Amino acid sequence: MGRRNAILMGLAAVLVLGGTVGASSGQPLREPMREPGVPGGRFVIGVTSDAKTLNPIMSNETSSSMVSDRLFTALTEYDNVAQRLRPALALSWVASADGRTWTWHLRRGARFSDGHPITSEDVLFSFAVAYDSTLHQSIYDLLTPHGQRLHVTAPDSYTVVTRAREPHALMAEAVGSLRILPRHVLERAWRAGRFSSSYSVGTPPESLVTSGPWKLKQFVPREKTVLGRNPYWFGVDARGRRLPYLDELVYLVVPDQNTTVLKFQAGEVDGIDDVKAEDYGTLARNQASGGYTLYDLGAALTSNFFWFNLNTVKRPGGRKPVGAPYADPVKYAWFSSRDFRRAVSMAIDRDAITRSIFFGEGVRNWSLMTPGYRLFHSPRTTAPDYDLPAARRLLARIGFRDRDGDGVLEDARGNPVRFTLKTNAGSTRVQIANFVRDDLARVGIRCTVAPVDFNTMVNNMREDFDYDALLAGLGAAVPPDPGMCGNFYRSSGLSHFWNTRQVRPETPEEAGVDSLFGELLRPAPLAERRRLSARLDQIVDDQCWVIWLPTMKVELPVRNRFGNVQPTILPHRLLWNIETVFVKPRGRR
Amino acid sequence: MRTFVLRRLLQLVPLLLAVIVLTFVLLKLAPGDYLTTLAENPQVSAATLDAMRHRFGLDRPWTVQLALYLKNLVLHLDFGESFSRHQPVFAVLREGLLNTLLLAVAGALVTWGLAIPLGAWAAARHNSAVDRALSLVAFVGLSVPEVLSGLVLLMLAARTGWFPVGGMRSLDWETLSLGGRALDLLRHLALPALVVGLVPLASRMRQMRASLLDVLRLDYITTARAKGLDERTVVMKHALRNALNPLITLFGYTLGSLLSGSLVAEIIFSWPGLGRVTYEAILSRDQYLVVGSVLMAATVLVAGNLVADLMLAAADPRVRRD
Repeated sequence: MGRRNAILMGLAAVLVLGGTVGASSGQPLREPMREPGVPGGRFVIGVTSDAKTLNPIMSNETSSSMVSDRLFTALTEYDNVAQRLRPALALSWVASADGRTWTWHLRRGARFSDGHPITSEDVLFSFAVAYDSTLHQSIYDLLTPHGQRLHVTAPDSYTVVTRAREPHALMAEAVGSLRILPRHVLERAWRAGRFSSSYSVGTPPESLVTSGPWKLKQFVPREKTVLGRNPYWFGVDARGRRLPYLDELVYLVVPDQNTTVLKFQAGEVDGIDDVKAEDYGTLARNQASGGYTLYDLGAALTSNFFWFNLNTVKRPGGRKPVGAPYADPVKYAWFSSRDFRRAVSMAIDRDAITRSIFFGEGVRNWSLMTPGYRLFHSPRTTAPDYDLPAARRLLARIGFRDRDGDGVLEDARGNPVRFTLKTNAGSTRVQIANFVRDDLARVGIRCTVAPVDFNTMVNNMREDFDYDALLAGLGAAVPPDPGMCGNFYRSSGLSHFWNTRQVRPETPEEAGVDSLFGELLRPAPLAERRRLSARLDQIVDDQCWVIWLPTMKVELPVRNRFGNVQPTILPHRLLWNIETVFVKPRGRR
Repeated sequence: MRTFVLRRLLQLVPLLLAVIVLTFVLLKLAPGDYLTTLAENPQVSAATLDAMRHRFGLDRPWTVQLALYLKNLVLHLDFGESFSRHQPVFAVLREGLLNTLLLAVAGALVTWGLAIPLGAWAAARHNSAVDRALSLVAFVGLSVPEVLSGLVLLMLAARTGWFPVGGMRSLDWETLSLGGRALDLLRHLALPALVVGLVPLASRMRQMRASLLDVLRLDYITTARAKGLDERTVVMKHALRNALNPLITLFGYTLGSLLSGSLVAEIIFSWPGLGRVTYEAILSRDQYLVVGSVLMAATVLVAGNLVADLMLAAADPRVRRD
């Protein structure tokens, strides 16, 4: 009798539980994962800096977004393994035949962490805030395809319609990237002009209402950020159990990377997002004894390169007339020679750089689309690679010879071939620049390395163009698509470093790149866009506008007692699927 | 005495004003601004950067920015807002300040707790093996950079598990009892305080030694010895008190540099202090945060010097007479 009662009560409990889950979740999101897990436990990730703000609209650096992206969901999330969008708050979406109108169907029963339903009103509010010109944050560019704002309407509580004047290849990515904020909490602050300081790190945890898998438990400045489960979040596992599994996600602030590794080895940290290449060896050796795995994520998304200053004066009023080069005219003549740039590229021993500076953990790379951008990396794209005799022959052919026997080449008019290579001090870039200097000395080019303050370097490359050559790099594009790199490819772009912000393309090749890039932004099948991307890179590499340098490989350690750990090279490497990560029961480890 | 303190406090006003103007000028002379840090993001366009610059008021001449800052400071006691954190500067600095003071005071305890007895011992055993050994140890301590000693201690902590590997509190701090919290804090404090404290140890020890040696050469010490007092009483009772006077002045001045002395240790030991905030603010050109932390450091420096003078006056009647 007791037993039967227990069964009945158990059934009732299941019914009640099932009832509450069903009523509040409506259309739950089934998260993809390797294996179903069990709830409980804590994951501690070591980070070098704490979040500057928890407001996803106001954040513009990784330490903030790696927290706020867990707190707030968007219409879509990015599946880092498949490298494509998957539904989040939006259950489905459909584009009109002309590609300009997109209809987004929202998940019913989705709720904020305070139990308030998430509806199209909140999506409209989030767009209004993102488009607020007084806030004007860095996400603005992503949300304005072709430089124009979308017209966003909500026919009903669970439908959102976005209209654009022109179709865009990344429309779904753009709309889907906007993190959804609670209108019922933030609208008053926004109307009062206090939005930028809303959801700052000083916000009391209970008043920070979130739409994502997590909510804030505790923020201790410069020590730790603790997230807890958002009980209302709509994600479930294959058995219908609510996610996230973990009770707590802790971001432990450890500013020094050496200390982070020590903390990991002492067991105080469960995973690290960013490890120095010099630590890969030690971490790899102690895997078995330390009970962790060092995951090899392949080439980083960051590319390294240097370029010669081909910038010309764009606006009248300066010391030099419009159209005149900023660089010394003698040097400008060398720099603008494609053969000179190709010879320089052929003089660089990239494998030596990888061996010495990346401790062997690096790859040769010839594009912004490093091998880390799996969908768009084209293995056939290459620029002139290390070939000393060919470099010497090419230099001789364009009239660069050592006329006075001092070991330094002179150009046809007798000017010694010397230039300065600037880069930012206090980074591995200085070491890379030293390798470039030694390599160029071998073909008779005298290169002097000048490490400068980061801000000085940026000022040089964007404002006063006071440099011969500059060594820098570009970070990750999110979503991982060449369409996000318009500032680099387009001749009018701010990061078209060798000759930025051209009024109209100054060379036929750059005009070609501009038009190819325009094509790349049009909606097309992936294969077609890959082809365009590869053609784009082939022009850049053929011209040697930038001299590519190797890219570091990324490896990171995570303890084996966690299940569903799938670190990816795309951001945020370790945390993108943290809601499915769980602590393995002792028997399954 | 009261007029003396009042006068010193009034001197603070022009001093702080000068500090603000100087910091502002230096910040503006250096190239770049807060938005320069966005340079390596391929997605941010020139138009967006200009709009953001306008929003932060960075497109106005620096004199206007300075005038606005001073106006808000004087009228509303408003130290401005941090660009990166969108929080009032004062709120950002407040907690870091307490943590830094805690570490600095613990470091000072290590320094002075070791420097006075060891320095006195070295002076009493002038030119002996003990004296030389202490000098050697002190100078080795002085020559080893904080980065190295810090990392070596951390490695020791990671290997042995005797101490936590950096940080100020355990993750389970909230669940601990009051006594447990105190113990936890002490365990976390021990290594960084040792690193911070060892740096000035050598010079303080030498100063103590020199000061005591000076006193030991004076006539009244000879008199005391001639009276037949034992050496212990001569040193401890008659010489030490007088030898401490110059060290009190020094101690006061160390109070002034409390906020700036522990940056390296703070970074290596993940200590959530003010030094790191200031350092990050300078790197990212978060200008009002920089000005705010410089102001705070200047205030503590002046206050430290004031305390030094007052302490000296208390210890030495000759100073009080002026």
